[in-house]
Amino acid sequence: MSLSNSLQKLASYRSNSSRESQNVFKIGSELLKAGNAPRDEEGWAFLEQLALAAIDLDRLDVADICLQKLTEKFPASPRVEVLTGIRMEATEPITTVLEYYNELLHADPTNAAAWKRRISVLRRARSTDKAAEELIEYLDTFYTDPEGWLELADIYVSNRQYTSALQALSHALVLNPQNPFTFVQFAETAYSSGDLPLALKMFLLAVDMIERDIESPEPSPPTGLALRTWWGIKLCTRHLLDGSGTTTSPSNTDVPKHVQSLDILATERILSPYKGKELETQRHLVENWVSKK
Amino acid sequence: MANNAVSLYLDPQIRDWVLFPITLVMILVGVLRHYVMVLLQSTPKKLPRNALREQRALARSQVLRATAAYSPLPPSFFHAMTESLSEAFAAGTYLKDGPPKEGEAPAGPANPLTDPSAMEGMMGGMKTQMVMMVPQMVIMGWINFFFQGFVLIKLPFPLTLGFKSMLQRGIETPDMDVRWVSSLSWYFLNFFGLNGLYRLLLGNDNSADSSKDAANSPFASLNAAPTGPADYNKLFKSEIDNLEFSNAVYTWLGSDVEDRVLKRYNRLPQTTKAR
Repeated sequence: MSLSNSLQKLASYRSNSSRESQNVFKIGSELLKAGNAPRDEEGWAFLEQLALAAIDLDRLDVADICLQKLTEKFPASPRVEVLTGIRMEATEPITTVLEYYNELLHADPTNAAAWKRRISVLRRARSTDKAAEELIEYLDTFYTDPEGWLELADIYVSNRQYTSALQALSHALVLNPQNPFTFVQFAETAYSSGDLPLALKMFLLAVDMIERDIESPEPSPPTGLALRTWWGIKLCTRHLLDGSGTTTSPSNTDVPKHVQSLDILATERILSPYKGKELETQRHLVENWVSKK
Repeated sequence: MANNAVSLYLDPQIRDWVLFPITLVMILVGVLRHYVMVLLQSTPKKLPRNALREQRALARSQVLRATAAYSPLPPSFFHAMTESLSEAFAAGTYLKDGPPKEGEAPAGPANPLTDPSAMEGMMGGMKTQMVMMVPQMVIMGWINFFFQGFVLIKLPFPLTLGFKSMLQRGIETPDMDVRWVSSLSWYFLNFFGLNGLYRLLLGNDNSADSSKDAANSPFASLNAAPTGPADYNKLFKSEIDNLEFSNAVYTWLGSDVEDRVLKRYNRLPQTTKAR
């Protein structure tokens, strides 16, 4: 791969904020070894990216080289300090890392990145209650961080506090109303909490959003998130129809109209990807599951 | 004037020793100014955490209101959120110094002249202002002193008489062709016209251009006072009304979503299709 080509690829990873550690490391370490690393402003972003990728792949030697260069250039940069912290997380005991982040936060209480790292370390150290407490305080200051709300919802779900999780997710929804993944997560959490009408509504909203751009969705089988969402709809309608789930909703959501038609539609959508001879057995399995009462 | 065959002949020395130096000095001063500004720029002051929280609290209700008309939130969640926000705003939970005490007169916005942090910002503005103004005054004095009344250049295209005051500043003759440009006018042309060149040399957000100085004078902001310390207590109180309003316009996206999905697949049962 030519030099400009690989640089472009790395830059596109950065701008899409996709991690791709394996690729980044492969391209980046070659560049670093050949001394071809970009020297201008872009070079520093490249070093940061490579350091993170190297830590991901446990190539701490490469990460240390990058970090050293970055520390020389930006001695007191909060970004480099947080990166150093991540590097420490790879080898140092948790108490040392926590101590380090505490120091950073003491020096600058508004260092959001360091705060978030601290919360994630806390959570990994199995002190979930402390992590949740800190995260709530963090979100109280930095409200507009959907990632933080999703993490909080995840913590609540792991403790089976579904109502609180739904509240956290609703903040994420308001902040990111264009993201169907958040809707699906909300719906699945509502399903877990037993609020079937709410879950069905949210699944439908997600499907409505995902398939909005498709002119006639009928012939094309659903893929990815859409398929998962249709499965969710099927689960909800099935329980609503056979009465095995309660139709009462803690959030006072009305049961959607036309559950019967929705059920038929969802069944068709679920089965539609299994076409052709080679998928025969899978199709049977799914059909069995669908027709099971 | 056109039939007047008498034409001026400019000494090439004027070109070499007046026209080029003025242009060159102005470009160099602009570049120098850019770098002085970079040196002078103080890093923006960090807000303490509680001040940041106060500043960002409004964002909470703003995102809520922005999506209210087609809200992704189910009614119970939406109303719970607006209610708790209104309560928090009314009680002053988000205020920097905590909720105001009972019977205590609410403090008005601090006077920017006595508030040291605001004073610092103003001093910064003054400093940059000095860097902007002083070189221009020096250059203008230099041109006025040495080259007053010089004719520097003849424009290659004809112009109407209206341009006379613009192009021949400093030369009070009624009947010289408008195409001749005086030294002082050449200074002004450079003053306003070099921005494109600076952008090429120094990048897009350079601080070499002087023609935008007037906009960011430290006193301009003082008169308008939107940058002054806002009275958050008042802002929060007015936000309560806004939240009430958004409660009224609120609709849930999901209220008829099943109809929309079924309609896309043409599965809407006949009974509701008729309505």
